[in-house]
Amino acid sequence: MMRLNLVLLLAVVASALYLVGVQYDSRRLFTELDKARSEARRLETEYERLQVEKRAQATPARVERLAKDKLLMRQATPGITTYVGYTALDAASKGVDP
Amino acid sequence: MSSRSIQYTSSPLLASRTPVWRSKFVVGAIALAFVGLAARAAYIQVVANDFFQRQGEVRFARTLDLPANRGRILDRNGLILASSVPAPSIWAIPEDVEFDKVQLKKLAKLLEMTASDLSRKLENEDKTFVWLKRQVDVDTAKQISALNIKGIYQRKEYKREYPEGESAVHVVGFTNVEDKGQEGVELTFNKDLAGHSGSRRVIKDRLGRVVEDVGEQIPPVDGRDLQLSIDSKVQFFAYQKLRDAVLDHKAKAGSVVVLDVLTGEVLALANYPSYSPAKRANLTGAQLRNRALTDTFEPGSTMKPFVIALALEKGLVRPETVIQTAPGHISVGGSTITDAHPHGPLTVNEVIQKSSNVGTVKMAMQMQPREMWEMFSQIGLGQKPQVPFPGVVSGRLRAYKTWRPIEQATMSYGYGLSTSLFQLARAYSVFARGGELVPVTLLKAPEQVSGVQVMNEKNAHAVLNMLHLVTGPGGTAPKAQTMGYSVGGKTGTAHKQEGRGYADKKYRGFFVGVAPIDNPRIVVAVMIDEPSNGKYFGGDVAAPVFSETVQQTLRMLGVQPDMAVRPQVVAEAVEESF
Repeated sequence: MMRLNLVLLLAVVASALYLVGVQYDSRRLFTELDKARSEARRLETEYERLQVEKRAQATPARVERLAKDKLLMRQATPGITTYVGYTALDAASKGVDP
Repeated sequence: MSSRSIQYTSSPLLASRTPVWRSKFVVGAIALAFVGLAARAAYIQVVANDFFQRQGEVRFARTLDLPANRGRILDRNGLILASSVPAPSIWAIPEDVEFDKVQLKKLAKLLEMTASDLSRKLENEDKTFVWLKRQVDVDTAKQISALNIKGIYQRKEYKREYPEGESAVHVVGFTNVEDKGQEGVELTFNKDLAGHSGSRRVIKDRLGRVVEDVGEQIPPVDGRDLQLSIDSKVQFFAYQKLRDAVLDHKAKAGSVVVLDVLTGEVLALANYPSYSPAKRANLTGAQLRNRALTDTFEPGSTMKPFVIALALEKGLVRPETVIQTAPGHISVGGSTITDAHPHGPLTVNEVIQKSSNVGTVKMAMQMQPREMWEMFSQIGLGQKPQVPFPGVVSGRLRAYKTWRPIEQATMSYGYGLSTSLFQLARAYSVFARGGELVPVTLLKAPEQVSGVQVMNEKNAHAVLNMLHLVTGPGGTAPKAQTMGYSVGGKTGTAHKQEGRGYADKKYRGFFVGVAPIDNPRIVVAVMIDEPSNGKYFGGDVAAPVFSETVQQTLRMLGVQPDMAVRPQVVAEAVEESF
């Protein structure tokens, strides 16, 4: 009887210690998970910010200014545009039937 | 055990002489203490359980706010017009702040304030909280945290970025520092854009780390993205051309509206003067107003095509009918109405082409006021356009029963009633769509829509042809012509009202037109307010803006030119010498 009690006592103590360990681990892991999640959120907003920045660098105002000043380009007009039809009928009438 | 045993019970020394009640008293007292303990335990566990549970929770559980992201505003091609980016706010607890001179200087520089201003902010030690700067950009915030100053903290906040800047600000609007919409679609769609923030309940440890979720969490619902019908390129070019024209003609202001007549979408809506949404200090009402929607004016001659259309509908005239406009003035109810230049006999076509007041009035006076009123209200005058925008006005169209004959006459050429430029642009969709008034939208809706038939298709085409003549030789607006595309439209030049009468030398110049003429795709309306650099006729100040806007818009919509253009394409390049 006495021996059994001793064994049970040891078992209880061991299980209790194990529980403490597991609880600690679970909290540690949860903290890590939470950190990873907030990092993901941070990266998402960072991505959004960079998208906006990219867009800000490509606004019509900036593109036009650079094209005109740096690349010395000019506005396209119908006078300097060749229009190409793409329907089968168009292609046929010009004798370039595939 | 037995050899040295002493008979304690028989020891005379131990013969108790104390009375029995004393021991009973002690036992009773101990029992009472146990009862007290049990009662306390019961109180804590049962009666006041909630209170203690709560007190415990307060010490380790926290409710975290999960903020929702504000939706983006996109143009019709999915380009960003407005989006939220992180912008931390810097705050401090003055009594905790400790730094040396060098750190102070660095911090002040990063916050863009002088060192003395900064130390004054931090001097007030009674305060436990002070904002140093709201919404700095992320890089600055990183540098500030790198300084590692005690007592300086950052709060996560978001601010709106508007890549298109001043060209689209009147449509898009802006938000305040609390991320609430203040103007434009940011205001009207604030609810949709804002979303709902969620929350979660967690247990935090001694170091403030989250160690466990408790209870259920409410996930945040992000705001909906909003896709407008605006095309940011068309918008930019329209704004650019308008700005150039306003500055060239030393005008007070101007607006331009571009409508897609097939779908009723607003492709561009620009006003000048404008402002940059990022720098909103010193804003004036003149800059802030979206004039195209919130300002009304007398539309002047741009009303004439509708009167002519009505005359055709009633069978009063045909496009070739000749009307005598000599000697260039006509008397109605004791007042005289004159033409800018006297013309002789004009056909109805030419009445529009030359914009003759006398010719128009002669036709209008054969109509019932009710008929004219019906036409005007059918094309949307006096009614609020159904666009979701703050401060949209309806303009003014008085009930026909109160019209005096002279008023009926002046209304036929656009005085005595008022409209916004937006309404005017929409009204012209009637001619572009064969008599159908298109329903307009500010949100992307690329399907073709059907409108309300206002007039006979044949008559609408007849008027469209007259509008084409306006831009031809002998018309009032040859400057509206644009390379490759046939256009049509009507000029307007109206005296500005001032007080009770009309200002002597203050005008508004308009041009409202349609392009391409055979298969109309867009309506463009331009208004220039108080041009004062010599020229003021709509055909001189507004028509060129129309021309350039049409050119760019049709090219970007991929509409093929319908007129022969002298090609300037160099077929074969000459080889460069080297």
